[in-house]
Amino acid sequence: MPGGDFHPWLFVILAAWILVCGLGVVAFKKIMYSAASMVACFLGVAFAYALLNAPLVAIVQILVYVGAISIVIIFAIMLTEVQDGGYELFFNRQAVFAAPLAVTAAAVLMVVMVTSDIGPIGDTALNPSVRGISLLLFNGYVFPFELVSLVLVAAMIGAIVLARKVEEKS
Amino acid sequence: MNALYWWLTLAVLLFCIGAYGVLVRRNVIVVVMCLELMLNAVNIALVAISNFRGGALGAGTLFSLFIITLAAAEVTVGLAIVIANYRNRRTVQTDQYDKLKG
Repeated sequence: MPGGDFHPWLFVILAAWILVCGLGVVAFKKIMYSAASMVACFLGVAFAYALLNAPLVAIVQILVYVGAISIVIIFAIMLTEVQDGGYELFFNRQAVFAAPLAVTAAAVLMVVMVTSDIGPIGDTALNPSVRGISLLLFNGYVFPFELVSLVLVAAMIGAIVLARKVEEKS
Repeated sequence: MNALYWWLTLAVLLFCIGAYGVLVRRNVIVVVMCLELMLNAVNIALVAISNFRGGALGAGTLFSLFIITLAAAEVTVGLAIVIANYRNRRTVQTDQYDKLKG
Protein backbone atom coordinates (compact mmCIF):
# COMPACT_ATOMS: atom_id res chain seq x y z
CA MET A 1 0.00 0.00 0.00
CA PRO A 2 1.73 3.18 -1.08
CA GLY A 3 1.91 6.01 1.39
CA GLY A 4 0.70 4.69 4.73
CA ASP A 5 -2.48 3.59 6.42
CA PHE A 6 -4.84 5.45 4.12
CA HIS A 7 -6.24 4.78 0.68
CA PRO A 8 -3.43 4.42 -1.90
CA TRP A 9 -5.27 6.58 -4.40
CA LEU A 10 -5.09 9.47 -1.96
CA PHE A 11 -1.30 9.28 -2.11
CA VAL A 12 -1.29 9.03 -5.92
CA ILE A 13 -3.56 12.06 -6.31
CA LEU A 14 -1.54 14.06 -3.78
CA ALA A 15 1.80 13.17 -5.37
CA ALA A 16 0.48 14.07 -8.83
CA TRP A 17 -0.82 17.38 -7.46
CA ILE A 18 2.51 18.27 -5.84
CA LEU A 19 4.59 17.30 -8.88
CA VAL A 20 2.33 19.01 -11.43
CA CYS A 21 2.33 22.22 -9.39
CA GLY A 22 6.11 21.94 -8.99
CA LEU A 23 6.49 21.62 -12.75
CA GLY A 24 4.22 24.63 -13.11
CA VAL A 25 6.62 26.74 -11.05
CA VAL A 26 9.42 25.87 -13.45
CA ALA A 27 7.45 26.06 -16.68
CA PHE A 28 5.10 29.03 -16.41
CA LYS A 29 6.09 31.99 -18.55
CA LYS A 30 4.50 34.60 -16.32
CA ILE A 31 6.13 34.90 -12.90
CA MET A 32 2.84 35.49 -11.13
CA TYR A 33 1.51 32.18 -12.46
CA SER A 34 4.68 30.51 -11.14
CA ALA A 35 4.00 32.03 -7.72
CA ALA A 36 0.38 30.82 -7.73
CA SER A 37 1.55 27.35 -8.73
CA MET A 38 4.11 27.44 -5.91
CA VAL A 39 1.40 28.26 -3.36
CA ALA A 40 -0.68 25.31 -4.63
CA CYS A 41 2.38 23.07 -4.38
CA PHE A 42 3.01 24.17 -0.77
CA LEU A 43 -0.62 23.41 0.09
CA GLY A 44 -0.19 19.92 -1.32
CA VAL A 45 2.96 19.44 0.75
CA ALA A 46 1.00 20.53 3.84
CA PHE A 47 -1.52 17.76 3.08
CA ALA A 48 1.39 15.34 2.75
CA TYR A 49 2.58 16.26 6.26
CA ALA A 50 -0.95 15.77 7.58
CA LEU A 51 -1.05 12.28 6.02
CA LEU A 52 2.36 11.53 7.56
CA ASN A 53 0.97 12.13 11.07
CA ALA A 54 2.78 15.43 11.53
CA PRO A 55 -0.08 17.89 12.06
CA LEU A 56 2.18 20.47 13.69
CA VAL A 57 4.46 20.58 10.64
CA ALA A 58 1.39 20.77 8.38
CA ILE A 59 0.07 23.79 10.26
CA VAL A 60 3.50 25.45 10.36
CA GLN A 61 3.81 24.78 6.62
CA ILE A 62 0.53 26.58 5.94
CA LEU A 63 1.45 29.43 8.29
CA VAL A 64 5.01 29.98 7.10
CA TYR A 65 5.09 28.84 3.48
CA VAL A 66 1.54 29.42 2.24
CA GLY A 67 1.08 32.47 4.43
CA ALA A 68 4.36 34.30 4.89
CA ILE A 69 6.91 33.20 2.29
CA SER A 70 4.48 33.35 -0.63
CA ILE A 71 3.43 36.87 0.40
CA VAL A 72 7.08 37.97 0.55
CA ILE A 73 7.74 36.47 -2.89
CA ILE A 74 4.62 38.06 -4.41
CA PHE A 75 5.67 41.42 -2.96
CA ALA A 76 9.12 40.98 -4.50
CA ILE A 77 7.50 40.20 -7.86
CA MET A 78 5.39 43.33 -7.65
CA LEU A 79 8.32 45.52 -6.55
CA THR A 80 10.48 44.34 -9.43
CA GLU A 81 8.29 44.95 -12.46
CA VAL A 82 7.04 41.72 -13.99
CA GLN A 83 9.12 40.78 -16.98
CA ASP A 84 7.64 37.65 -18.48
CA GLY A 85 10.68 36.03 -19.82
CA GLY A 86 9.46 34.33 -22.99
CA TYR A 87 10.29 30.76 -23.80
CA GLU A 88 13.79 31.54 -24.95
CA LEU A 89 14.46 32.10 -21.23
CA PHE A 90 13.11 28.65 -20.43
CA PHE A 91 14.51 26.55 -23.26
CA ASN A 92 17.82 28.37 -23.26
CA ARG A 93 21.32 27.03 -23.55
CA GLN A 94 21.42 26.24 -19.82
CA ALA A 95 18.76 23.58 -20.44
CA VAL A 96 21.26 21.49 -22.39
CA PHE A 97 23.25 21.02 -19.20
CA ALA A 98 20.46 21.33 -16.67
CA ALA A 99 18.17 18.60 -18.02
CA PRO A 100 20.76 15.77 -18.02
CA LEU A 101 22.02 16.98 -14.64
CA ALA A 102 18.55 16.88 -13.09
CA VAL A 103 17.80 13.45 -14.57
CA THR A 104 21.17 12.12 -13.37
CA ALA A 105 20.57 13.53 -9.90
CA ALA A 106 17.16 11.84 -9.80
CA ALA A 107 18.67 8.51 -10.93
CA VAL A 108 21.52 8.68 -8.41
CA LEU A 109 19.16 9.59 -5.56
CA MET A 110 16.80 6.74 -6.48
CA VAL A 111 19.68 4.24 -6.58
CA VAL A 112 20.95 5.47 -3.21
CA MET A 113 17.44 5.27 -1.80
CA VAL A 114 16.94 1.66 -2.90
CA THR A 115 20.40 0.34 -2.06
CA SER A 116 21.18 2.11 1.20
CA ASP A 117 20.34 0.51 4.52
CA ILE A 118 17.75 2.81 6.06
CA GLY A 119 17.29 0.47 9.01
CA PRO A 120 14.20 -1.18 10.39
CA ILE A 121 11.16 0.29 8.67
CA GLY A 122 7.76 -0.44 10.06
CA ASP A 123 4.39 -0.01 8.40
CA THR A 124 2.97 1.74 11.42
CA ALA A 125 3.08 5.48 11.86
CA LEU A 126 5.66 6.50 14.45
CA ASN A 127 5.55 10.28 14.43
CA PRO A 128 4.91 11.59 17.94
CA SER A 129 1.97 13.81 18.72
CA VAL A 130 2.22 17.58 19.11
CA ARG A 131 2.83 16.98 22.81
CA GLY A 132 5.72 14.65 22.07
CA ILE A 133 7.25 17.11 19.60
CA SER A 134 7.05 20.00 22.03
CA LEU A 135 8.57 17.89 24.82
CA LEU A 136 11.41 17.00 22.47
CA LEU A 137 11.83 20.63 21.39
CA PHE A 138 12.02 22.06 24.88
CA ASN A 139 14.04 19.26 26.48
CA GLY A 140 16.79 18.20 24.12
CA TYR A 141 16.70 20.90 21.47
CA VAL A 142 16.35 24.07 23.50
CA PHE A 143 19.71 25.46 22.39
CA PRO A 144 19.05 25.13 18.63
CA PHE A 145 15.60 26.61 19.25
CA GLU A 146 17.09 29.72 20.84
CA LEU A 147 19.76 29.88 18.15
CA VAL A 148 17.06 29.87 15.45
CA SER A 149 15.34 32.82 17.11
CA LEU A 150 18.66 34.68 17.02
CA VAL A 151 19.04 33.84 13.32
CA LEU A 152 15.52 35.14 12.65
CA VAL A 153 16.27 38.46 14.38
CA ALA A 154 19.51 38.76 12.40
CA ALA A 155 17.67 38.01 9.14
CA MET A 156 14.97 40.57 9.92
CA ILE A 157 17.51 43.32 10.67
CA GLY A 158 19.57 42.31 7.65
CA ALA A 159 16.55 42.47 5.34
CA ILE A 160 15.61 45.93 6.61
CA VAL A 161 19.18 47.22 6.23
CA LEU A 162 19.55 45.75 2.74
CA ALA A 163 16.21 46.83 1.31
CA ARG A 164 15.84 50.34 2.69
CA LYS A 165 16.68 53.35 0.57
CA VAL A 166 20.17 54.71 1.13
CA GLU A 167 19.80 58.33 2.14
CA GLU A 168 21.94 60.93 0.50
CA LYS A 169 24.26 62.61 2.93
CA SER A 170 23.89 66.36 2.70
CA MET B 1 7.53 -2.29 -1.23
CA ASN B 2 7.31 -0.28 1.92
CA ALA B 3 5.23 2.87 2.09
CA LEU B 4 8.32 4.90 2.98
CA TYR B 5 9.79 4.38 -0.48
CA TRP B 6 6.77 5.93 -2.18
CA TRP B 7 7.17 9.08 -0.13
CA LEU B 8 10.91 9.18 -0.74
CA THR B 9 10.31 8.81 -4.50
CA LEU B 10 7.97 11.80 -4.34
CA ALA B 11 10.66 13.75 -2.48
CA VAL B 12 13.36 12.84 -5.03
CA LEU B 13 11.18 13.88 -7.97
CA LEU B 14 10.19 17.19 -6.38
CA PHE B 15 13.84 17.87 -5.48
CA CYS B 16 14.96 17.30 -9.06
CA ILE B 17 12.18 19.47 -10.50
CA GLY B 18 13.37 22.23 -8.16
CA ALA B 19 17.02 21.66 -9.09
CA TYR B 20 16.16 21.86 -12.79
CA GLY B 21 14.30 25.11 -12.20
CA VAL B 22 17.21 26.61 -10.27
CA LEU B 23 19.59 25.74 -13.09
CA VAL B 24 17.43 26.74 -16.04
CA ARG B 25 15.43 29.82 -15.07
CA ARG B 26 17.02 33.24 -15.30
CA ASN B 27 14.65 35.28 -13.19
CA VAL B 28 16.13 35.39 -9.68
CA ILE B 29 12.71 35.31 -8.02
CA VAL B 30 11.78 32.12 -9.87
CA VAL B 31 15.14 30.68 -8.81
CA VAL B 32 14.23 31.44 -5.19
CA MET B 33 10.84 29.74 -5.67
CA CYS B 34 12.51 26.63 -7.07
CA LEU B 35 14.91 26.62 -4.11
CA GLU B 36 11.86 26.54 -1.85
CA LEU B 37 10.58 23.52 -3.79
CA MET B 38 13.88 21.74 -3.09
CA LEU B 39 13.67 22.56 0.62
CA ASN B 40 10.10 21.24 0.68
CA ALA B 41 11.24 17.99 -0.93
CA VAL B 42 13.88 17.53 1.76
CA ASN B 43 11.25 18.21 4.43
CA ILE B 44 8.94 15.55 2.96
CA ALA B 45 11.80 13.03 3.10
CA LEU B 46 12.63 13.95 6.71
CA VAL B 47 9.04 13.71 7.94
CA ALA B 48 8.47 10.45 6.05
CA ILE B 49 11.57 8.78 7.47
CA SER B 50 10.70 10.07 10.92
CA ASN B 51 7.22 8.56 10.52
CA PHE B 52 8.21 5.09 9.34
CA ARG B 53 11.54 4.46 11.00
CA GLY B 54 12.01 4.13 14.72
CA GLY B 55 15.17 5.24 16.46
CA ALA B 56 15.36 8.91 17.34
CA LEU B 57 11.63 9.40 17.73
CA GLY B 58 10.32 12.56 16.09
CA ALA B 59 13.75 14.07 15.49
CA GLY B 60 13.20 14.23 11.72
CA THR B 61 9.92 16.06 12.16
CA LEU B 62 11.58 18.51 14.54
CA PHE B 63 14.42 19.08 12.11
CA SER B 64 11.94 19.89 9.33
CA LEU B 65 10.51 22.60 11.59
CA PHE B 66 13.99 24.11 11.92
CA ILE B 67 14.42 23.94 8.13
CA ILE B 68 11.11 25.77 7.59
CA THR B 69 12.21 28.53 9.97
CA LEU B 70 15.61 28.96 8.35
CA ALA B 71 14.00 28.91 4.88
CA ALA B 72 11.86 31.84 5.94
CA ALA B 73 14.97 33.75 7.07
CA GLU B 74 16.76 32.87 3.83
CA VAL B 75 13.88 34.08 1.64
CA THR B 76 13.69 37.38 3.54
CA VAL B 77 17.37 38.18 3.16
CA GLY B 78 17.58 36.81 -0.39
CA LEU B 79 14.67 38.87 -1.69
CA ALA B 80 16.00 41.96 0.12
CA ILE B 81 19.23 41.52 -1.81
CA VAL B 82 17.26 41.05 -5.06
CA ILE B 83 15.30 44.25 -4.45
CA ALA B 84 18.41 46.22 -3.49
CA ASN B 85 20.09 44.97 -6.65
CA TYR B 86 17.02 45.81 -8.74
CA ARG B 87 17.17 49.38 -7.49
CA ASN B 88 20.72 49.75 -8.79
CA ARG B 89 20.71 47.64 -11.93
CA ARG B 90 17.00 47.63 -12.99
CA THR B 91 17.06 43.91 -13.65
CA VAL B 92 16.27 40.59 -12.00
CA GLN B 93 17.74 38.38 -14.72
CA THR B 94 20.76 36.35 -13.66
CA ASP B 95 22.53 36.75 -17.01
CA GLN B 96 22.47 40.53 -16.61
CA TYR B 97 24.16 40.44 -13.20
CA ASP B 98 27.55 40.92 -14.86
CA LYS B 99 29.06 43.84 -12.99
CA LEU B 100 31.94 41.72 -11.68
CA LYS B 101 32.79 40.51 -15.18
CA GLY B 102 36.29 41.58 -16.16
